[in-house]
Amino acid sequence: MIFKKEHELLRKTVRDFVEREMATYPDEVDEVGSLPKEVIAKLVKHKFISTIIPKEYGGAGADYVSYTIVMEEISRRCASTGTYITAASSLVALPLVNFGTKEQKEKYLRPLAEGKYIGCFGLTEPGAGSDAGAGQTIAIDKGDYYELNGRKCFITNAPICDFAIISAMTDKSKGTKGISTFIVESKWEGFSHGAHENKMGIRGTETSDIILENVRVPKENLLGKVGQGFKIMLNTLDYGRIGVAAQALGVAQGALDEAIKYVKERVQFNKPLAKFQNTQFTIADMATKVQAARLLVYDAAEKKDNGQVPGLESAMAKYYAAEIANEVAYKALQLHGGYGFIKDYPIERIYRDARILSIYEGTSQVQQMVIAGHVIK
Amino acid sequence: MDNRDIKQFKNVWVFAEQRNGILTPVVIELLGEGRKLANEIGVELCAILGGYNVDGLADELIRFGADKVYYANNELLKNYTTDGYTKIIIEAVEEFKPEIILIGATHIGRDLAPRVASNLNTGLTADCTKLEIDPEDKKLKQTRPAFGGNIMATIVCPERRPQMSTVRPGVMDKAVEDADHKGEIIKLNTKLTKSDIRTEVVEIVKTKKDLISLTDAEFIISGGLGIKNADGFKLLQKLADRLGGTIGASRAAVDAGWIDHSRQVGQTGTTVKPKVYVACGISGAIQHLAGMQNSDIIIAINTNENAPIFEVADYGIVGDVYDVVPKLIELLDDDKRLVDLFNSNRIDVSQLQ
Ligand SMILES: Cc1cc2nc3c(=O)[nH]c(=O)nc-3n(C[C@H](O)[C@H](O)[C@H](O)COP(=O)(O)OP(=O)(O)OC[C@H]3O[C@@H](n4cnc5c(N)ncnc54)[C@H](O)[C@@H]3O)c2cc1C
Ligand SMILES: Cc1cc2nc3c(=O)[nH]c(=O)nc-3n(C[C@H](O)[C@H](O)[C@H](O)COP(=O)(O)OP(=O)(O)OC[C@H]3O[C@@H](n4cnc5c(N)ncnc54)[C@H](O)[C@@H]3O)c2cc1C
Repeated sequence: MIFKKEHELLRKTVRDFVEREMATYPDEVDEVGSLPKEVIAKLVKHKFISTIIPKEYGGAGADYVSYTIVMEEISRRCASTGTYITAASSLVALPLVNFGTKEQKEKYLRPLAEGKYIGCFGLTEPGAGSDAGAGQTIAIDKGDYYELNGRKCFITNAPICDFAIISAMTDKSKGTKGISTFIVESKWEGFSHGAHENKMGIRGTETSDIILENVRVPKENLLGKVGQGFKIMLNTLDYGRIGVAAQALGVAQGALDEAIKYVKERVQFNKPLAKFQNTQFTIADMATKVQAARLLVYDAAEKKDNGQVPGLESAMAKYYAAEIANEVAYKALQLHGGYGFIKDYPIERIYRDARILSIYEGTSQVQQMVIAGHVIK
Repeated sequence: MDNRDIKQFKNVWVFAEQRNGILTPVVIELLGEGRKLANEIGVELCAILGGYNVDGLADELIRFGADKVYYANNELLKNYTTDGYTKIIIEAVEEFKPEIILIGATHIGRDLAPRVASNLNTGLTADCTKLEIDPEDKKLKQTRPAFGGNIMATIVCPERRPQMSTVRPGVMDKAVEDADHKGEIIKLNTKLTKSDIRTEVVEIVKTKKDLISLTDAEFIISGGLGIKNADGFKLLQKLADRLGGTIGASRAAVDAGWIDHSRQVGQTGTTVKPKVYVACGISGAIQHLAGMQNSDIIIAINTNENAPIFEVADYGIVGDVYDVVPKLIELLDDDKRLVDLFNSNRIDVSQLQ
């Protein structure tokens, strides 16, 4: 994988940023349960939050490889921040970029890029996770507006969002072809959120239910066409997946970093752990898998930048990177011995953070379904 | 007494459980069922009553169909004790030889019946839900749920008399009151003495039943986000009090801070299986259903007719909790029928209107 000069420069910039701004911070956000406003402001300033949003709407207007670099390097230090970035910049930005009208882009995409608005993506429901088409949220056409009722769950950024991209049923009889997508502002009457979920990992992000009770959504806030909602949401996930795959790659690399550092320092039987052949082979395995994941992830991003539809590649990248992030974090913690089990060492948090990667934005099993669908014809 | 000489035994008896001079409701059900059995065999329906100066009850029993009332009036029978009541029943059985004795499966009935049965060395089937007479040999076929309700067992006591059953309250049809029905009151002269009774009732405490735990409650009135505020639970509590039940909640109501987590029903709360579960303003997310879908009867009150809760509800009321619940309480207050409806496991919501 040979990166362009601009990509190498970008990587260096992100790394410097992480060194400077994020040294002790991952453990703090894990404790506190939210990201500090100053850091969010800096992510905005450096356009890390808006990598793929076009320049004309205030974003960086960069390509997917750049987005992948940002995600990898940030997640390598802090997975919570990585999640915050994907939720805002890909899950929310993508449907607006791809399906929004000019007015919608002005009204929502620009403030999102400029950090004035925080967005969230509301697809999952208590009864509809992997089976995203089974949602119960309904939108009734009332002439001047749509009236939305329902409940979304596990929505990243819901407690702090200014608006949400919400999928809802406009015509039950049509199944998934009866789903439409709406832009719903959180200040509108009837919009509220549930309690902040007490999560195992990525504790620095805020996740909760969104409750919609007779929310009046003006007609102009329909995103795309009536009945196009499922397509919009799935299309968003197809590309959004590259972001999570890159996040997983970053987490895996971060765990490997910790392991390498630790095995060189820790002495047992009068030798650093790194001198035992078992340690060496374990690290070799981990490094190889991380590199394999890296190639899959950047391949998907490059294909997207070349104008191809990387549905298969993004599923493979997300699946593999998420699985090996867990494996690498497990082995890295094992190499730490008892110390790895204690919160003083970052690997404990990384191990917990890794666990979500094979679950959200489509579980590993769903990725396998997508992959098999492409491969078995 | 040789209780294997079954020809000597005749008549159907009902134990007339009373507390503070008031018949327990199940007694009227037993008289209703006992009348059918007695008619089928062609014998008399009798009641056995113990107590102190409860003469009015003997007349009441006759109005509800008893042909004979065996009445032991004794100060020692004022409060229920196992020894005292066992003794009068055994004395009466030895003298009058009934072929069937029905006892309500109340706390008292479940205590008394096995003691009587083992003293008489006869068979007892507990907690029956169905009784029939075998047309061939006129023996009593006693059916009861076993293994947590998964198996219905039909049990016969072929060789010994009396045949004894405790009967689950609420399953049999009540006897109809008939002021013209005539019957005979037979006073029992019991040999009961103070020394026969080994227990002493020190005090009877009536608790206001606010301590019922979720898992024990027969009636659970549960509130979700649809009740809008913490005060909504006061309304639900009223309904629960009326039914002797308790209140539950969805996670959304707990998250909103309206009620303590210990009340949460669902996958990450408590799993409940009451007789009646009333879901008020609960949408019916799978995580909630997992904790209550095995309730015997589920009643859902929800403004949204498409709410998934209606898929598991036996009875659904599309309407505002604040309209429906007060209406239910009102009906319960001025119409005893509704309690019977709830108790009888057969609720027809159209009857609420
Ligand atoms: C911290 C966090 C943040 C999230 N953020 C968002 C967000 O911002 N927006 C949003 O819309 N959602 C979000 N989600 C939801 C997430 O996308 C879902 O949790 C995920 O898609 C899985 O759905 P589920 O939890 O309902 O699991 P289920 O679909 O119930 O799956 C349970 C298990 O069954 C397996 N399974 C299901 N169907 C099949 C099948 N057909 N074949 C084989 N196996 C199967 C799954 O792989 C999984 O192992 C978030 C979740 C979490 C935990
Ligand atoms: C990790 C996790 C664990 C969970 N565990 C549980 C659990 O153990 N138990 C649990 O319950 N949930 C659990 N959930 C939450 C579950 O997914 C749902 O979010 C929750 O059950 C919804 O509660 P609700 O039905 O009260 O609220 P909602 O889904 O908001 O439903 C409110 C209902 O009230 C109706 N309504 C509104 N106004 C009125 C009115 N005036 N009169 C009548 N009806 C009205 C509406 O039509 C709607 O159907 C869990 C979720 C997570 C993430």
